[in-house]
Amino acid sequence: MKINGIEIDDTFAEAFGMAGTGVIVTADTMKWARIAAVTMSGFGTSVIGCGAEVGIDCELKPEETPDGRPGVRVLLFGFSPDSAAQQLKTRVGQCILTSPGSACYAGVQAEKRIGLGQGPRYFGDGFQTAKRLDKTRYWRVPVMDGEFVIEETTGIVTDAVGGGNLLILGNERAGLLEATEAVVDAIAKVPDTITPFPGGIVRSGSKVGSKYKGAIASTNDAFCPTLRGRVKSEVGPDTIAVLEVVIDGLSSKAVADAMRAGLKTILEVGASKGVTRVTAGNYGGKLGQHHYKLRELLP
Amino acid sequence: MSGLTFRLTSAPVERLDLSQLTPKHVASIPLAEVLKLNVGTTKSALKVGDVFAVSGKPGDVITIEGSTDKLDFIGAHLDEGTVIVEGDAGVGAGRAMRGGRVDIRGDAGALLGSAISGGEIFVKGSAGAQVGGLTPGDKFGMTGGLIVIDGHAGDRAGDRMRRGTIYIRGKCGSYAGSRMVGGTIWTELGFGADPGMLLRRGTLIGPSVERLPPTFADSGRHDLVVLRILSRYMQQKLGARAPKPLPGIVRKYAGDLATVGKGEILLTS
Repeated sequence: MKINGIEIDDTFAEAFGMAGTGVIVTADTMKWARIAAVTMSGFGTSVIGCGAEVGIDCELKPEETPDGRPGVRVLLFGFSPDSAAQQLKTRVGQCILTSPGSACYAGVQAEKRIGLGQGPRYFGDGFQTAKRLDKTRYWRVPVMDGEFVIEETTGIVTDAVGGGNLLILGNERAGLLEATEAVVDAIAKVPDTITPFPGGIVRSGSKVGSKYKGAIASTNDAFCPTLRGRVKSEVGPDTIAVLEVVIDGLSSKAVADAMRAGLKTILEVGASKGVTRVTAGNYGGKLGQHHYKLRELLP
Repeated sequence: MSGLTFRLTSAPVERLDLSQLTPKHVASIPLAEVLKLNVGTTKSALKVGDVFAVSGKPGDVITIEGSTDKLDFIGAHLDEGTVIVEGDAGVGAGRAMRGGRVDIRGDAGALLGSAISGGEIFVKGSAGAQVGGLTPGDKFGMTGGLIVIDGHAGDRAGDRMRRGTIYIRGKCGSYAGSRMVGGTIWTELGFGADPGMLLRRGTLIGPSVERLPPTFADSGRHDLVVLRILSRYMQQKLGARAPKPLPGIVRKYAGDLATVGKGEILLTS
């Protein structure tokens, strides 16, 4: 199927069930809320190598945050609630607690809760105090610029989805990157989703396994343009580069919406930027519980 | 909203105990049984039918009309529904409430909301001593919920309070937050003498204090994020009736250093 000069493969993205949680990080200014959120999201691209997939969902106006200051919502995805809770604890402790003027609140409202301030509060060395308003408890931890306020728990959902994806092929590398950036920008507007890789884009898509013992994943040779002719290549003769956008969402619908938004954008802007084809990564449908068929998500 | 209205037919000659008059309880029994509920506190054993004219249909609200300060324990042990008091309330209104709402359109007596753990109490007038306090046998005073007093509050507000919020638009009497373990008392017109005696944890907020106990330490002026959260909480709970948001900078006095000293008195001006 070809739309606006771009081939859409008859295939699907295969994604996995994950545990998803989130926090709202606030600070005196949006600049510092963003710095804290970006720091917390660092080294959070792939759950396999980083322990969690972490990214910024959206920025929040003062009237949308619990303390009336500018904020950023960060989402974190892990294999299980336990592993997500551990990652959240260390990331909040090292990246949010330490950031000037920051405060941290539950970013997901769900029945199941995990600790948020339950660990970092001990940094207060006994000087920490709690303030409970209705059912919400906030910890106040004395720090050198005043107090670090952190909510005791945040929600976690176990029907989150990780690994929704789009593979975008093009015949001009700079143009392909610009078009893929536009896809990431469109997905950023979809609530409850993140694109955890650098700038939302992966250039090193992987396949399962390797010729080397101990490596659980290795380069996706079928999509490496420079290996065309040497391997069973998936890329056509006009393809210079392939970029992938990986999407995690708090629900399957959120991931589908994000892929839909991404496809719409690539069809609008892709052809002029050298995009020739869109496909998706899967494992034959045998590993992931969630399948997103590209042609069913077209605008 | 529907419910029964209890109109006082004459000024009571003795104190009455209205703790049985909750919307849920009176809706669960026939009206004839409601009229037989005991409200007397002497051997005369006054029944509801002896002192009230009852009208309306059972629902999630009850209204006490013509109420006086001799009507004690209005809305006590309430866990859902609304009790509206047209007039004054006696001792212990809203005592040991777990949920619901008590709306007093006049003044309230002593021990308003004593040992309350949830729900909301609103008082149009002023309240007596020991708002959110405790009575013999209680381990703590208020442990949750919200009490809003449009007028003034008497002495020892929040005595041995553990959680929850007391907001007073007027002035708060002496010894506010005595033996307090947690929670918040916020007054718009200031505290009387010696607030926070043996305050362990918890927050007292107001523009002034008549006399500060010597066992509080000046911790300086601070911009506390938690006050923004508190202001927002009050906005969510009270809407248009919410107090003006707290100022960014307050002066903090830490104490009571005669005990664990993790409490604070925050002066807003």
